Amino acid sequence: MEQATPPAAGVDLSPAGADLGRVHLLPCGIRHSSAAAVSDYFKPRDTGVEVEGVRVEEAFFRGRKLQGATVALPDGYRGYVLEKKSAAKDMQNMDGDASNFVSRAEFQNITYWNHDAMPSAEDPLPRCFHWLTIANAMHKPVTAEELANMSATPNQNS
Amino acid sequence: MAAAAAAAEWATKEPCIMGIDEAGRGPVLGPMVYGCMFCARSYHDTLATLSFADSKTLKEEQREELFETLKTNSAIGWEVDVICPKELSAKMLKRTKVNLNEISHNSAMGLVKKALSMGVLLTDVYIDTVGDPEKYRVKLTEKFPGITFVVAKKADSLYPVVSGASIVAKVTRDRALRNWVFDETAQNMHMDTGSGYPGDPNTIQWLKDHKHPVFGFPTLVRFSWGTCTSYFKTGVEVTWESDELDEDAASNGSAKRQVRLSSLGFTGFKRKSEEIESSGKGRCKFFQARKLELVRKFQ
Repeated sequence: MEQATPPAAGVDLSPAGADLGRVHLLPCGIRHSSAAAVSDYFKPRDTGVEVEGVRVEEAFFRGRKLQGATVALPDGYRGYVLEKKSAAKDMQNMDGDASNFVSRAEFQNITYWNHDAMPSAEDPLPRCFHWLTIANAMHKPVTAEELANMSATPNQNS
Repeated sequence: MAAAAAAAEWATKEPCIMGIDEAGRGPVLGPMVYGCMFCARSYHDTLATLSFADSKTLKEEQREELFETLKTNSAIGWEVDVICPKELSAKMLKRTKVNLNEISHNSAMGLVKKALSMGVLLTDVYIDTVGDPEKYRVKLTEKFPGITFVVAKKADSLYPVVSGASIVAKVTRDRALRNWVFDETAQNMHMDTGSGYPGDPNTIQWLKDHKHPVFGFPTLVRFSWGTCTSYFKTGVEVTWESDELDEDAASNGSAKRQVRLSSLGFTGFKRKSEEIESSGKGRCKFFQARKLELVRKFQ
């Protein structure tokens, strides 16, 4: 990050008091950004079917049949539901774009839903976690030993 | 669904006729029920005297009564297929949409198949038409070559065995609505649904009472019905990938429309969900496949 950049968005991740229940990722865009009576209307049911060791649930949203799987976030990671805080008037707001967020809930599991398709390891969400492995490999400092090993086998990738 | 007569002896030995009819095909809510009734061909004349005819003109209590007599009549067999509104909506809103005629045809064919698998010696089937009668007859005959199908409009008022089937279907649907248990746990839900047709003020009131900006309606409602569409316009906008594919297909299929749109300054349909759903658009394949978007700034 460039030195001159003003402080980015403030994100307050202090533990949230309220337990908001399960976290669902739906396969549609919903133009609504506020509370909704999810537990009254969205009623997932176990189908008794397992795909690749993951239990498949079934639910309906706006008439569509959804099939869902619950995945755990990788070790060392945690999910947050963030709420945007309206910028306080008395703040020294040098950067008009800076937003402040506060954590409303935390989660270790997320249920993602497909419209009309069985969940599988090929779905975008479980595949997202591949990025973590790649990012780690890319950002991990290379040790002197690894460098030595690489120069010992110079034509490996030719 | 439980069969009243699991292939009685007469049904497996004597040639049988069957009538098939539906209840609740048009309403915006509740299940659609397909019912069938069958009896030995030799019983047909007696059946004609049982005043099943013109079932639609009967009062609800009369239908209930007739259904109860029918159930105790050992010379008659019957069966129902209840297609719940959830299933209707889901099929009609699938990525590859299944239309109501196809759902209806499949239900009717399911009833014939069931009777055959029970060992009923079916020779003639009378059925109220859905779509073009002749095309439907051909479809049924191809599926069940050994059976003679009579497909007709208003079959329920023409053939007593279809009248009987319509009573079975109608009573089953009425009971399903009467005993409906909501999946939803929202407050103040009720079952004064009226007929389920948009011309009925009770139905309109019910829809108003149960409308929800985010979820639409309880799953008693058939979301795929045109009646619902106007309600969704006032609610929260929801966009689905499969609908966008439809739009794309429609715009590709109609060159004229494309020309007209571009002349008006439109360069194509904007994929609405990209504004609200991450897509990984413009990034390399690895990220696109995972719908991973780079967020430089939270806002």
